Order: sequence, then C-alpha cells, then structure tokens
Amino acid sequence: MGTRLGRGAATFFYRNMEESDCVVVMGSNMAECHPVAFRWPMKARVNGAKLIHVDPRFTRTSAMCDLYAPIRAGSDIAFLGGLVNYVLNSQRWNTDSFFKEYVLNYTNAATIVNADFKDTEDLDGVFSGLVQYSEKIKEWPYNGFVGQYENKSWQYAGTEAESRGWTAATQRSGEQGVGDHDRGTGQKPTTSPGASPAPPQAVPHGPPFEPLVHSMLKPPPLQDRTLQNAGTVFQVVKRHFARYTPEMVEQTTGCPKETFLKVAETILANSGRDRTTSFAYAVAWTQHTNGPQVIGCCALLQLLLGNIGRPGGGIMALRGHASIQGSTDVPTLYHSIHGYMSHPTAQKKHDTLADWLSAETVARGYWANTPKFMVSYLKSMYGDAATVENDFGYAWHPKIIGDHSHLPMFVAMNDGRVKGMLCIGQNPATSLNASVERKGLRQLEWLVVKDNWLTETAAFWQTAPEVKSGQVKPADIKTEVFFFPSAQVAEYEGSFTNTFRMLQWHFKAADPPADCRSDLWFTHQLAKRLKKLYANSTAKRDEGFKNLTWDFDPDPAREGAGGRQAVTGEPESHKILREINGYYTGDPNRHLAAFADLKDDGSTTCASWIYCGVFPAPDKNLATNRTADPPGTRGAQLGWGYSWPANRRIMYNRASADPRGRPWSERKKWIWWDGRKWTGLDVPDFAATKPPTAAAKADGIGLDAQSGTDPFIMKTDGKAWLFVPTGLVDGPLPAHYEPMESPIKNPFYKQQSSPVLKYWKRDDNPVAALGDTRFPFVITTYRLTEHYLAGAMSRWNPWLTELQPEFFIELSPELAAEKGIRNLDWVKVSSPRAVVRGKALVTRRLRPFRINGQTVHQVGMPWHWGYQGLSTGDAGNELTALVGDPNVTIHEGKAFVCNVEKA
Amino acid sequence: MPSTYFTAPPQWHWLIILYFFVGGIAGGSYFLAVLFDLFGRITDRPLGRLGYLIAFPLVVLCGLLLTVDLGRPERFWHMLIQSGTWRPMLKAYSPMSVGAWGLLGFGFFSFLSFLGAIGDAERSRWPRLRVLRPPRMLGALVAIVGAFFALFISGYTGVLLAVTNRPIWSDTPLLGLTFLVSSASTSAALLTLLGWRRRWAATGLHALANFDRLVLVFEFIALIALIVSLGSIAQVWLNAWGALLVLGVMVAGILIPLALHSRARVLSGVAVPVAAVLILAGGFLLRVVIVLSSEAV
Amino acid sequence: MAEPMGFFTDTTVCIGCKACEVACKEWNQLPATNGGRNTLSGNSYDNTRRLDGIHWRHVKFIEQFTPDRAEGRWLLMSDVCKHCVRAGCLEVCPTGAIFRTEFDTVVIQSDVCNGCRDCIAGCPFGVIDMNPVSGTAQKCTLCYDRMRASLEPACAKACPTDSINFGTIRELRAMAEKRVGQLQAAGEKRAYLYGADEKMLGGLNSFFLLVDRPEVYGLPPDPQIPSRNLKPSSAWSLLAAVAVGFMGIVSFRNRGGRPHA
Ligand SMILES: Nc1nc2c(c(=O)[nH]1)N[C@H]1C(S)=C(S)[C@@H](COP(=O)(O)OP(=O)(O)OC[C@H]3O[C@@H](n4cnc5c(=O)[nH]c(N)nc54)[C@H](O)[C@@H]3O)O[C@H]1N2
Ligand SMILES: Nc1nc2c(c(=O)[nH]1)N[C@H]1C(S)=C(S)[C@@H](COP(=O)(O)OP(=O)(O)OC[C@H]3O[C@@H](n4cnc5c(=O)[nH]c(N)nc54)[C@H](O)[C@@H]3O)O[C@H]1N2
Ligand code: SF4
Ligand code: SF4
Ligand code: SF4
Ligand code: SF4
Ligand code: SF4
Ligand SMILES: [Mo]
Repeated sequence: MGTRLGRGAATFFYRNMEESDCVVVMGSNMAECHPVAFRWPMKARVNGAKLIHVDPRFTRTSAMCDLYAPIRAGSDIAFLGGLVNYVLNSQRWNTDSFFKEYVLNYTNAATIVNADFKDTEDLDGVFSGLVQYSEKIKEWPYNGFVGQYENKSWQYAGTEAESRGWTAATQRSGEQGVGDHDRGTGQKPTTSPGASPAPPQAVPHGPPFEPLVHSMLKPPPLQDRTLQNAGTVFQVVKRHFARYTPEMVEQTTGCPKETFLKVAETILANSGRDRTTSFAYAVAWTQHTNGPQVIGCCALLQLLLGNIGRPGGGIMALRGHASIQGSTDVPTLYHSIHGYMSHPTAQKKHDTLADWLSAETVARGYWANTPKFMVSYLKSMYGDAATVENDFGYAWHPKIIGDHSHLPMFVAMNDGRVKGMLCIGQNPATSLNASVERKGLRQLEWLVVKDNWLTETAAFWQTAPEVKSGQVKPADIKTEVFFFPSAQVAEYEGSFTNTFRMLQWHFKAADPPADCRSDLWFTHQLAKRLKKLYANSTAKRDEGFKNLTWDFDPDPAREGAGGRQAVTGEPESHKILREINGYYTGDPNRHLAAFADLKDDGSTTCASWIYCGVFPAPDKNLATNRTADPPGTRGAQLGWGYSWPANRRIMYNRASADPRGRPWSERKKWIWWDGRKWTGLDVPDFAATKPPTAAAKADGIGLDAQSGTDPFIMKTDGKAWLFVPTGLVDGPLPAHYEPMESPIKNPFYKQQSSPVLKYWKRDDNPVAALGDTRFPFVITTYRLTEHYLAGAMSRWNPWLTELQPEFFIELSPELAAEKGIRNLDWVKVSSPRAVVRGKALVTRRLRPFRINGQTVHQVGMPWHWGYQGLSTGDAGNELTALVGDPNVTIHEGKAFVCNVEKA
Repeated sequence: MPSTYFTAPPQWHWLIILYFFVGGIAGGSYFLAVLFDLFGRITDRPLGRLGYLIAFPLVVLCGLLLTVDLGRPERFWHMLIQSGTWRPMLKAYSPMSVGAWGLLGFGFFSFLSFLGAIGDAERSRWPRLRVLRPPRMLGALVAIVGAFFALFISGYTGVLLAVTNRPIWSDTPLLGLTFLVSSASTSAALLTLLGWRRRWAATGLHALANFDRLVLVFEFIALIALIVSLGSIAQVWLNAWGALLVLGVMVAGILIPLALHSRARVLSGVAVPVAAVLILAGGFLLRVVIVLSSEAV
Repeated sequence: MAEPMGFFTDTTVCIGCKACEVACKEWNQLPATNGGRNTLSGNSYDNTRRLDGIHWRHVKFIEQFTPDRAEGRWLLMSDVCKHCVRAGCLEVCPTGAIFRTEFDTVVIQSDVCNGCRDCIAGCPFGVIDMNPVSGTAQKCTLCYDRMRASLEPACAKACPTDSINFGTIRELRAMAEKRVGQLQAAGEKRAYLYGADEKMLGGLNSFFLLVDRPEVYGLPPDPQIPSRNLKPSSAWSLLAAVAVGFMGIVSFRNRGGRPHA
C-alpha cells in the first residue's frame, strides 16, 4: 500500500466500515481474529450492506457474509486480478463518468512508462530487468535472495521516478546488490535509482538543506490524458490483466466461476459516486512470497473503483498484536528509523548525512521535508552533542548491513553468528520451522526471556520435543537462560496505537506483583547501566552510546506520583512521549504542535515526526482524549484518541471530493472546498488552504510541486500509483505466482513462483519441488478466536483452554474418506520439514478444489499450540519453512504442502 | 422430537431408586397392617403388627437415603423450613415439597403405631408396656390417618417423577398409579416372606395371598396401560431397558408369581416364598427401569 | 416490581466468539471443565457442549452444508436460561431456593438450595445442572447482582456484535419485531422469534431470533411446565389407592370368620 498510496497503513478507521455499502474480507478471518472491530461490518450489514468473505475455509466470518467465495490458499492475486480485469471490461466502469474522472485525476493512469519496459505478458511471467542472483553481498550472507530485479526499465518515460531509495524495507532486496556490484565494477550506481546521484559539489551542505532538495528535482513524467497511448500506465495495466479471465480465476483459485462473478458484480455495483466498498485484510495476504503484491493488487483495484480516501471506502489493514502498529511507527523494525525513514545502511551510499539525505529525500511531495525529520530525529538521539559541525552525530548512528529480520537472524544464529538474544514479548521457539529456531537458540551463549509466562522459548532447553525425546540433552546446551517476569499492561501506563493509527493512552490500574517489571523499566534500567558501562570507553564505536541522551528519570516530584508508584526505577512515560512528539530544542517545555513546525537546523527535537502533535503541550496529551461524537451523527470521532498523521482519520481524504473540490455525492461527502479552505467531517489530508484550482509549480519542491487535485501528497507526483515504477523489488504490477511449495503448475505463466523470493537453503530447511507426490495437499495455518498466537496468553488460562482444548487439523469429509480418517481420529501431518500429530476435525467447512481439472485437497491447521502451559500440543510451525517475500521478508506460513495420514 | 428430549437428567440414581422401593414397602406394609387391624381376624393381628414394626424403621431409612443423596445434606431441613424466614416451607403444587411433609407425617404416625405394636406384642412379657397400647378408638384413629399417609408415600414418588419435563416420567400420568400398586404387591410379598412357615401368621398369609393375586393382576394391567399411554415415546424402551421391563418386571415379577400362586397348593411349599422373592425383585426392577431408562436419554 | 427485564438474542449476528461465555465465567467466577483440561468434542467448535452448573452461557455451532456445498450455513447461537414467566424450575423447587426477582427474572439462591436436583428435571430447556464446587444447582442469574447495581449483564456487555441485547421486555420485543421484519424483507423468510410472546410458558424473558426449527438449535418445539401433570397423575394415583384399598378390604374380610371384637 505504501508504494501505491504513500503510506503503508490502513487508509481509514474501522468504525467507518459502518458506512460501507459492501465489505470484502479477504486474507483475513476478521470475525474470529478481530471480533470487536468486526462489530462495524456487522452494523453495516444490518443497515443493508453486502458482506463478502474470500477464504479457503468457511469460517465464522463466512457465516456472517452474504457471499462466500472459497479459494485455494495462495491464489489471491489470481482472484483480485480477475476482479481488476472484470472491472476494466465492465460496461458500467466504462460508461459511468465517475470512475474515469477519479482514475484520471487521482492516479498515475495517464503517465507514460519507459518504452523498454517488458511485462510478464512479454516474458512469460517475469518483468524486464531480472538478474539471477550472484552472491555479491559478502558482509551479510543471510539475505536469502534467489534472484533480483534491476528496475531501470520500470521507470516513467524520460525521467526516473523520484524515489526515497524505497522505504528501507527494500534495502534487503536485490536492488542494493545490484548497486553494490556496480560499485564493485567501479561505475557509479546510477543504474540503481536506489542511490540517486550524489549531490553535485555546487550544492552546499545544509542546513538549510533546501538547496540540496532543489538540486534533486527531475523533469516531471510525460502524460497522455486521453489514456489512448499504448505506453500509458492505464494501457499497460489493462494489457497486463487481460488474461485474468473468470475462467482462469476458476482454474487457478478453484472458486466456481459463478461465485466469482457474483462477487465481482456486487463489488462493482457498490462502488461509484454514491456508494463505496471497503476491503479488510490481515496476514493471510502478507504471509506469502508475494504478500505486498497481493495487497498492492487490492490497492490497484480500489483505485480503479474510486474507493480510496472516501467514507466507507478504503483498505483496512488489520494489524495483529496490540500496538503492533505503534511498534512499526516507533519502530522495532530493523530497517527503519522512526516515522518510516530508512535506517542508515552500509549497502547504500549513506556515508554522511548529506549522502543519506540525497539517497532518501525526494524533491516532490511531502517527503521533501525529510531533512527536517532526520535532523530532528538525530537531535532526539544525541541532544546537545548533535551539532551542525558533526552532522548532528549522524556518524555515531549504527548502520545495518543487510536483512536482520526474524528469519535471517535465526539462520545466522544457527551458524553461531549471534552471541545472545533479548527476547521480550516474543515466543520464537514455536515459530517458523520451529526445530530450526530452537536449534538456533541452542547456539546462543545467553538468552534473556522477559515474559509473563514460562514460554516455550524460556523452556526450550527443558521441555522441547527434541529434549523430551532425548535427542538433545539439557546438559549439552551451553545457552545460559535468564527469565525476567514481566508486568502486564494494566500495571503500567503508556499508549497503544491501534490498527488504524490511533494512539490511546492507558493508565496504570495496579502494581505488578512481586518482582515483575514493565518493559519500560527493563529497557530504562538496561540503558542506564550500559551508559555507565561505556562512560569511560575511548573506542570510537562507543561514541554513539556515550552521546546518547537518556533523561527519562522521573522528576523527584513525579516519582511515586498518584501514590500508586510502588515500583521504583520506572521511567517517566510522559518524558518519552515528549521526546517522540518533539519540542523546541531550547526549551523542552515548549512542545511541537505539528510536524509542520519541524526545522532542519537542529532547533527542533523530534524522535518520530509522524507522531508530532499528539503531545502539543506539557498538560495536553491528546492520546487521553475520550470524547465520542454524539450518537447517530456521521463523523470521524476526532475527539477520541489521536490518529497520526495530524489526527486524520481517513487518509488521502482530498479524494472524497471531486477535482473541483465538491463532494462526489451528498451521501458520501467527507471533505470539501468551501471557497477559502478545505472543511468537512475530518482533518483534511491536504494543504488546508490550497484551492482545487492551484497548479503545480514547475520548479517547486514539496507540496508546491503538486496541484490542487493531487490527493496523494506522500507520492512525488501527488497521484496514487496503479503501476509502481519504484519501491517494490518484485515487479511494478502484481502477477500470480504459485507459493514456493505448491502441487499446482502455475496456470498463468511459465514462471512457477516469484523469481525473487527469499529462501534459506539449508539441510534442515528443505522444500518440496513441484509435483512431489509425497506431499499432495495444500495446507494453511491460522488462528482461533479462543487462542492467542503462540499460546502463552491463552493456553495458560482454563477459561480459554476449555473452549479449544486440543490441537486439531481441519479436513474435508472427502479427504478424510480418501484416507480412512474418522472425526477425532489422531492424524499425522507431514511436510518436508517435520511431522506433527493432532486430532482430526472432519468438517464440510473445508472442501476439495478443482484446479485445472485436478482435485486439490485443502488442509487447515490452527498453529497456537506448544509444549508449555495448561493445554499442550504439537506446534503447527514445526511444519513451516524459512521462505519469505523479497520486500519485507515475511514467511510463507499461509500456503505450503503436506500429507495427512491416520496416526 | 418430543420436547421432553431437550431437558437434562437430574442424576437421580441408586439412592433414589432404593428410596422409591423402600418407601413403597414402608407405606404398603403399614397400609396392610391397618387393613389387618380394622378388617382382619384376631388371628391376623401378629402379621399386622409385623407390618407396623417394619414400616417405621424403613421410613427412617428413607429419610437417610434422601438426605445422603442431597448435594448439601446438611441443608435437608430446608425442605420443611425456609432457611431465611424460619417459616414452614410448603408448596402444594410441588410433589417433592408435599412429599417431604408426607414423609414427616408418615414418620410420625408409623412411629406411634410402632410403639403401639411393641406394646401389643410384648405385653405378656413386660406388662408395663401395656401403657403404650392406645385406647381402642385412638388407636383406630391413628391407624386410619396413618393409612392415608401410607398410601400417599407409596404413590407420590410416581407423581414426583411425572411433575418434571423428563422423557417417560412426564409423558404418562400413570407412574403414581403403577408405583402405588407395586408398593402394595411388594409389601404383601415381604410380609408373606417374613410370615412364612410361622404358625401365628398362617391365617393372615392366606389373606395376603388372595390380596397379592388381585394386586398383581391389577399391576400387570397398569404396566400395559403405562406403555400404551407413552405412545411413540415408548420407543426409548426398544432396548435393554424395555427387555428388562417385560421379562424382569412383567414376566418374572408378575406372571410367574401369579402362576406359582395358583399352583401353590399343588407345588411344593417353596412356591410361595419363591413367588414373594420374585415379586420383590420385580418391584425393585420396575423402579430401576423407570428411573434409569429416563436418566439415560 | 420494576419493569420486566431480559434478553433478546439475535442469533443471526452472533459470530460465535464465546466472549459471552467467558465474560459470564469471569464475572461469576465459575470453574472450567476439569480445570481447563477439557477434550475436543469433535462437534464443530463447541467444546463446552451444553449449559450446566458451570456453563451458564453456551454458544452452539450448527453446521449445515449440502454434500456439494451448494448450500451452506453455520448457525451460531448463544444459549442461556430463558427466565420463563412460568418457570418449571421455580415451580418444583421444594426449598424455595428459586425465586422470581423484582426484574421478573428467575434466580437460584445458592445459600438456600440443598441440591435435591428437582429443578434440573423440571426445566423444559435443560438449563440447570449441579455446580460441583457449591454442591448446589446453578444457572444464569441474569446477573442479578449487576442489575441491582444497574449494570448491564456481563455477557451482554461483552458481546461485540450486539447479538445479546439486554433491556426491558417491551423494548426488546419491539426491537425484535423490527429485526424480523427487516430480515424477512431482505429475503430471509425463515426468520422468526422463539418465546417472545405469552404463548410459550407465558413468555420467555430471554427470547431468541432463529432462522430454523427450534429442534435444530436444540430447543424444545413445545416446552411445558411440569405441573401440567400434577392433577392427572394424582387423580390416577388416588384411583389406584381406592382400588388397592378395595382389594384389601375384600380379601381381608368376608373370609367367613368374624373380625375380632
Ligand atoms: N483470537 C485471536 N485474535 C487475533 C490473534 C490471535 O492469535 N487470536 N492474532 C492477532 C495477530 S498477531 C494477527 S497478525 C491477526 C491475524 O488475523 P488474520 O489474518 O485474520 O488471522 P489468520 O487466522 O492468520 O488468517 C485468516 C484467514 O486466512 C485464511 N487463509 C489462509 N490462507 C489464505 C490465502 O492464501 N488467501 C486467503 N484469502 N485467505 C487465506 C485462513 O483460512 C484464515 O481463515 O489476528 C490478530 N487477532
Ligand atoms: N504458521 C504461522 N506462523 C505464524 C503466524 C501464522 O499465521 N502462521 N502468525 C505470525 C504473526 S502475524 C505473529 S504476530 C507472530 C506472533 O508470534 P509471537 O509474538 O512469538 O507469539 P506471541 O504468543 O504473541 O508472543 C508474545 C509474548 O509476549 C508475552 N507478553 C504479553 N504481554 C507482555 C508484556 O507486556 N511484556 C512482555 N515482555 N511480554 C508480554 C506473551 O506472554 C507472549 O509470550 O506469529 C507469526 N507466526
Ligand atoms: S482481544 Fe483485544 S484487541 Fe483483540 S478483539 Fe478482543 S478486544 Fe480487540
Ligand atoms: S429456562 Fe429453565 S431454568 Fe430458566 S427459568 Fe425457565 S425453567 Fe427455569
Ligand atoms: S436443587 Fe436446589 S434449586 Fe433445584 S430444586 Fe432443589 S433446592 Fe431448588
Ligand atoms: S446474565 Fe450474567 S449470569 Fe446470565 S449468562 Fe449472562 S453473564 Fe452469565
Ligand atoms: S459474545 Fe455475542 S457474538 Fe460472541 S458468541 Fe456470544 S453472543 Fe455470539
Ligand atoms: Mo501478527
């Protein structure tokens, strides 16, 4: 979504799903996994909206829907592509002026693409620029590439689409590899837009950095607003999806053609000037070797239907863990620093601040302000020590050297390249290809587990299957394990950021028992001790730590505030929030009110620019807001919590008005131009006083470079991207690839699965080749309402374990009959990695699929179990593989192959 | 499916079955004793006394069985007195509530008669005990009122089962009737057994035999009627329970004893006691089947 | 008496999340089946199986699929005590432990109940059962304690989709009628209310919107109060008493000998 719309987050708020005329839940089991949020689709349904669920299994969500479309796990792009094709060729779409008007003005449909771009149509499944991966990146051999794209040919005609070197997610991709070996061969990596040319010497170093930004202006891309030119994005897209016919959809997904067409008709009928359709997805779209492409395909469809930036329309990215959104905004992501800025890396020209800025800044669109964000961030890190002279301490900032995400880290661990691990709020011992993860843990010198329960990870040396079976003796495990009992959320104050970017403050209700401590306490105390440890170090590498500002100790007055502070040593959470929100460097009590106030000269300090404004004054924490709109009125609930950016609830909401600034329709009015400014029910996601008639300034930077009809202000051209010239490493358009493990030959192309997926080739991580008769069935993994993830938060609780007491496998009666399995029989499920035992739950909610005339059985498996707790059972993840997608390295836990036998 | 199939079984098992059986015999034998007293010959007296002597201890046993079966035995008295207000607790429309009082009442009268009987029996040995013997009229009064309680005790248990929503129990109005009749037959059988080959009981036994014959015939008809009254529900008995009812209760517990009775003179002396034992077993089985076959649904 | 209160449970919007089941257990501190070490029932996602002394709410899962999956439904329903206006349990209870509250709901007083279990057999819906911990019969109290503190019952509060609606019977019936009309109009011709009017046991103060026959949901099509059998059963018993008495008299006297003086 980020690459197509500008921000990789839910485009609207789930309460607003109440205003949808059609809700499509696809890639999620919303009713089971987000029951409370599902309240709103249900309200919509009671108001007459149509609900649709697209899922391999008939779930509790399907039970609530008007339409259920069964599809084989891993075939979403075929289905979505089919919808795109249906829409583009539908009579309604081609006659209703709304769609043309929206697409022409608000997307890059009219932009002309590089002539030498070759589509999957031309190259039978791959895009132009594919380079088979050659081991070039020496310093970090764990990136797991099998191939990579050189994306020069994907660019707009005549000009390189400006890029921020793609949000650092892609730093792990092949692209930098390309950059690298170009560098190896001496020539400058201009071929890779990832590192746009270093600033000409003429340009002085900032601050101010404005000249630098100016120097990066490129000629705007060519357009053909008639959309007739074969080179326009629109024509490219149309050709690309031409083969995604209803017949192909049926052959690939197994969804009956009639059902697919019903879905397509319903979605189209409920999109337009006066109606909006929304999509909700979660990890059944991400956990694939082409996850971001699935999501992108949905964005593409929603853009064609004019469903972005409008009430009841949009894409609801359902996030998982409480505040997982927050943990990507103020990131625990290894590849970003706060506010989705790229983490400095050794793989790009990031040597100096200027280098980083010229690689990561773009001249057009809101990201032109990157220097202000970055400098303010560095100030938050190094405080007074950060000066103009020393590049604001940029040199002290750590750099990454490759893919440090979960999978590669555990591979490195297995190779003994990782000394120790702090495991805080995670339970990897039952995570992907679990036995490999546990093997990794056994290679550690030390392991700190900070959790509320003695998880599988904390007890990996004691109760793990391989230990129980005697293959591994606890005595032979050298890892020293430390367990820190953790406090629960109700035992400390802080903020949650929910699935639609809304911060809500939670207060402390009770003291943690015994020596349980909050994660804040732990991190705070650890940091203080480390700073002490490094205080007198003279090593250059320690300067960062020495200069790190860390003043979160409560003022004596606040210590023990409210009388409830029995725990000493807790940091002052408001001081942390202040650092995140930002303040005038001169006076910490003058908080920043909005990210517009940020400066690039060090006069402002702000850790995460997107959160700037949540804490505008020392006595004004907007995350504590709790005023709801009066019942029965339409609104954005602006008085409840605080939603970044700038408390906007529907992003890109400029698109809720037509190009001239009038609401598309009375029923769907949200934001409009009142002659002087933008007003309406929400905070405009647009320059407040920029009239619809405003033209883009040719030599302008930032928002000046965009016109009054450009709603997608984070994109350089202010338009949403149907075709993505830069930002994705696996292609500018979505194409159907089979999962890495699949019993099906790709019905669309010669190319079987993503040519650039990530796979860690190891003896303990084998994968089944196409047509491996030992593993004939498709299997997917998922959640149950009754349990939570790896299970520590549910399998310890009798009130929950009695609801789902045992690990089970869901089978169709057809498959059960074929295998002579009866309901409740014990069954063995095997993948190339492992075998697990569970009880069979035979149900017609699962069904065999007809794919290309062959019957493909779909098996289902909840993955919550493990060997610790009240209800124990085999972990589903013993079966999964270390396989990931090239953009964000998410595993393919949602689609692989297996066999099922009576145990 | 009939509505009674959607209800839950109260888990009334052996203690309750035993109570139904023992209670029936207590009531029945008291009732027979009264009959002997009021209508029998002077020579029947000892057998009558025996009835009184059995009844009371059995009632005590009944109380114990019921109390032990409670989830909270220490609260047995809540059946009679409202724990909150200390007022008496009686619901005319709740068989169990009325039953509790009935049991209490029967306990009281059977106790009096028990004393009377002892007095009567042992006066020759300890003349003092004579005082226990009530004056004629009073004795008769006690006996008559007691007899009503006795009949109540032997019949209400069937009504108790009927006033529920369980399959079989609440699907026929004839359980009370059946239980009452069966109490009569079983208690007669018990007295017969106890009086067997005793000189003092000779004449009474003869009367009992006639009585038993009539009652058994009545009981047989009652059981047929019961099955018929269940209508389609009777299907739940197309299993071991049904077999037990027909073979155990109706054939072994009624028909065979009847046959033995009619041949009593011809057959060897054991015929009568064998018949009595069969009747007792049949009576017990009847309650087992009625209670457990419904619990099993 | 305050205005009658109760539940309207709209099964068509139940997502089977069981939040109501857990909320009830949490509020009433009820134990879990075998301390949580339960077994898989194999009956869809229903592993708590039925209403009983430690499950006062129970969510039912009914899978209806044709072999070819052309037709398919997964009926979800959160079952609970019906708080009958004419309540079988209350009728038979010999200790007075069961009483009707000022809200016209039916509640068992655990400190009065002595565990005779008559109410279990008396309830037409199989709602009540013993709680092994208290040794008494237990069931939904409609959160009598919360209602007295003018709080919404725990289960209704936890329900994310408003499948469980709590309120005055008057409001609830109006709401329910409206919802049925809406569903009928939307083509769901099978929608109807179960127990909303006096016909059923004088009205269920906890009534349901269903889209299939009651039996499909494990509900009696025609629930009755136990006392319906009191008169006939007693009459027949009386008859038996008379008959037995008569047989006794005939076989004890007129044996030619004279009765003792
Ligand atoms: N009760 C409960 N709620 C939770 C969680 C929990 O563990 N328990 N976890 C939280 C977290 S961390 C997350 S990330 C979210 C996850 O939320 P979801 O993604 O909704 O949860 P899943 O069960 O992983 O997957 C959802 C559905 O995807 C289907 N599916 C599998 N493969 C495919 C496919 O290829 N295509 C399509 N279209 N569907 C497929 C599965 O059948 C399943 O029904 O839930 C959050 N909420
Ligand atoms: N096969 C397969 N694998 C999957 C998935 C899948 O769908 N299929 N889903 C993936 C997804 S989306 C996710 S999010 C991951 C989740 O995987 P994990 O995050 O490893 O699993 P959790 O059980 O959520 O672990 C969270 C831990 O944090 C602890 N905890 C809770 N509160 C606190 C606190 O305040 N402080 C501390 N220190 N600890 C706390 C809990 O007790 C728990 O042990 O699993 C992934 N794995
Ligand atoms: S568990 Fe928490 S986050 Fe998830 S649905 Fe329930 S309330 Fe919402
Ligand atoms: S449903 Fe059963 S338990 Fe509830 S009130 Fe009615 S009879 Fe009593
Ligand atoms: S078990 Fe308790 S509540 Fe039920 S009838 Fe007996 S005394 Fe009344
Ligand atoms: S009303 Fe209260 S007691 Fe009854 S089910 Fe709901 S939570 Fe449980
Ligand atoms: S909480 Fe509501 S939605 Fe969830 S199971 Fe109970 S009744 Fe159904
Ligand atoms: Mo997640």
